[in-house]
Formats: sequence, structure tokens, C-alpha cells
Amino acid sequence: MVMLTQREIRRRAPLWLTGLLVLNAALMAFSAHQSGDITKPRVVQVWVQALFAPAQGAVTGLGGALSGGVRHIASLNHAATENEQLKRQLADMQTELRDARAARDENERLKQLLGLKEESQYTSVPARVIARDPNEWFNTVLINRGSSSGVELNMPVVTPDGIVGRVIGVSPWTAQVLLLTDERAAAGSVVGQLGASNALGVVRGLGRNGLLEMRYVSGLEPVKVGDYVLTTGQDGIYPQGLNVGAVVELREGSATQPHEIKVKPSAHLNALEEVAVLLYHPPARTAPTETLPNMSKGKKP
Amino acid sequence: MKLKIAVCVVFAVLLQTTLPRFWGPLVFVDLPLIVVTYFALRRDVVLALVVGCVTGLATDAFSGGLLGANGFTKTLVAYLIAALVTRVMLDNPLVRIPVIAGAAALDGVVFFLAHQILGQRPLPPFVETVAYKLIATTVVGTFTFYLLDVFFSERARMRRQFAFRRRAARRSLVRR
Repeated sequence: MVMLTQREIRRRAPLWLTGLLVLNAALMAFSAHQSGDITKPRVVQVWVQALFAPAQGAVTGLGGALSGGVRHIASLNHAATENEQLKRQLADMQTELRDARAARDENERLKQLLGLKEESQYTSVPARVIARDPNEWFNTVLINRGSSSGVELNMPVVTPDGIVGRVIGVSPWTAQVLLLTDERAAAGSVVGQLGASNALGVVRGLGRNGLLEMRYVSGLEPVKVGDYVLTTGQDGIYPQGLNVGAVVELREGSATQPHEIKVKPSAHLNALEEVAVLLYHPPARTAPTETLPNMSKGKKP
Repeated sequence: MKLKIAVCVVFAVLLQTTLPRFWGPLVFVDLPLIVVTYFALRRDVVLALVVGCVTGLATDAFSGGLLGANGFTKTLVAYLIAALVTRVMLDNPLVRIPVIAGAAALDGVVFFLAHQILGQRPLPPFVETVAYKLIATTVVGTFTFYLLDVFFSERARMRRQFAFRRRAARRSLVRR
């Protein structure tokens, strides 16, 4: 084996530097070319993530146990006060539970009378968040479920509180999820009750401050701070009626200007632990046919 | 030694992706960059370049950004520090602080520019994000360097060597 002197190593260093920079620049160019279409799979990233997943899971588990322990110790101070409060709440809840049981039984009876069936709309796959984006500029997370569990590209990811984002990369064991707070994420939404409100728009991420921006809502539509925002299902990613968040800031628009709306997501996107991937396939859209009048105009017989 | 460096790099990348899960602001601490800066200060340019490139690419694999962006910035940062350390004495712990700060600032600026040039738009406010990263990385990096010194410094290597020699000498005494 040829041993190089320090001087030779130093002389060759610029060559190494050039080679490595060119390699990385080429990778960046390829990645930028691919990322023009976010529906394309991110092959390299996804496979590296899959390889690291077991180690990642172990580190996350260890970190979870440690932070749980710290939280447990910190919470001991408040335990006595909390215990009293919980006892009072329990008494109230028991009364409410009795009423709720009676209402449920009545509901069941009425449903049977009407011949309605309970059915869940979408199958979901529960998953655990095992990693967050290591860069401060982007908002993605890695979950421990992949194509072997039925997860596919662009499937919506939710928590019981609301939507989280969508899948942008899938390996057999892991999936990368683009959070709704990322600047590249968007969802077709409506302020208020679906079907009753015309305040339709698009919710987009704003980056790090955890808020979303809702665009294109007509300035003539009545919108108030505190109104809830739901998905419309028109974006071809999220099913309709899922909770997005609530309006927290509003600059009212006019007949010619749309409202400027800031929405706080209902899902706690900064402290995600458990999520569910909805195995949802949006209904196929029919392509416009050639029988449209403007299509046939240019054609010569 | 190479195995220890590899383990260190893997551990830094895994921690970087795990810690922000428990507390969001920890995303501003760039652990892989701290490791790259540490090895760049060891006067081995080629080792610094390889560590920079591999660490950057490993970080990119978990990121939603462009593949190769961190590889590019960390390779560049590693080379500049390794080139600087051959001309200026940077062994003093106090002198290392501005080096980490400079590395964090350069890494943030080059990363942002690379994305801008290639038509990507990282949205959060640029100056604010780079400033947070600079402060967090410098503070954590200063203490992490002490930790890394325990395993990788020349003094630690000598200490281990002497401990081995002492053990060997004791064994030979017992045999006699």
C-alpha cells in the first residue's frame, strides 16, 4: 500500500474537494429535476431511511423513555392538586356518561328503525413517528409504516384532531410524510360547514411558525376568527370533511380582494407521536373529451 | 479509529432526526455539522472531506430538501476549516467557538443559496433561521467538542496507550 506524505495529501485535497462537490451538485440537480413533480417517488432517500429505520426506532424508543421519565418526575409536584381536580371531574363525567349511554341506546334503536348501517369510510393504518426532518428549513416526518402495510404515495395522514399531511416517499417499512405546515403542502379547504359555506380556498403551509395560510377565499364570504376549516376533497389527496384547523387571524377582504386568513392546525404538528395513514384513493377524474365545443373548433373537416 | 468516526457520524445523524421530536427548537442544533467541524480541525484534509460529504448525504437522506445539498455545504465547510487549520493554530477551546459559529453561518447560507439557485424555496425567514442555527449550534458545539475530545483527542489516545502499557507491565510483573 502506497503511503502518502502530508504534503502530497494536501496537494491532492483540492482534487478531492472538486470531485465531491461535483458529485453533490449532480445529485442536487437530479433531485431538483425530480422534485418538480412531488408525486414522483424519492427513491434514494426512501431506501436510506428504510435501512436506518431499525436504529432510528431504537433511538426514538430510548429518547421517548427518557423524556417520559423526566416528564413523570416533573409532574409529581402537581400530582396532589391534579388528583383533587380529577376526582371532581370524574363525578361530573359519571353523570354525563349515564346521559350519553341513554342517548346512545336511543340512537341505536332509531337507526335500527330506519334501517341504517354503521360503516367506516376509510381503512386506516396506525403508525408511529420515528424521525423528524433534520433540517430547519423543511417540515417532514418519518413514520414506521410503509408499502408492506398498504401505504402508498400521496395518501393522507391524520390524527384524531385533524389532518397532518401526505405521504411523499414510501419504502417497504417506512414512509416520509410532508406536514401541512411545509411551504410545499396544500389542501383544498372550506371555512365553516361543508355544503353550507361558499368560503372555499386553499390552505398552504407557512414554514416554521406552525400556522397555515388560507388563500383565494372571496372577500364577500362571511368569515370570523374562531371558525373551523374543513377539507373539501377537491384536491385529489384528502377526503372531504376532515378537520384542518381554526381561523386565528383575519384581514377582511372586499369585492375585489380575497380575505387574508391564518389558520392554526388542529393536529399538534410539533409534537406528533402517533398518526394514522388513511388508505384513501381519490375518485378518478374523467379527462375532458374531444366533444367539447372549443376542442372541435380548430379541427378542419 | 475509522470505525469510531463512522459510529460518531451515524449517532449524530440519528440524534439530529430524533431530538426535534421531543422538543422542536432542537432542530436548530446542527449535530452533523458539529461532528464535521470537529474532524476538520484535526489537520487531515481528506478525512475531513470524506466525513463532511458522508455526513451531509446521510442528513439529506432524512430531509425533505434536495439530496446532496447538505453533502455540498458540509464538504465545503470541512475543506475551508481544514485549510484554515493548517495555517492558523486553532487548538485552543476558546478559538474553536468562532470556528463553529462561522461554520454554522456558512452552512446555512450555502444551503439556502443552493436551494434558491435550483428553484426550491425554503420559506422560513432566512436571517432569523440562520441566526437561531448559529447560536444553538455554537452553544451545543462548544460542549460537544469537549465530549468528542474524550474519545478522539491526541491526549486521550496517549492516555489509552499508557493505560495499555501499564496493564502489560503489571502482567509481566505478576508472571515473574
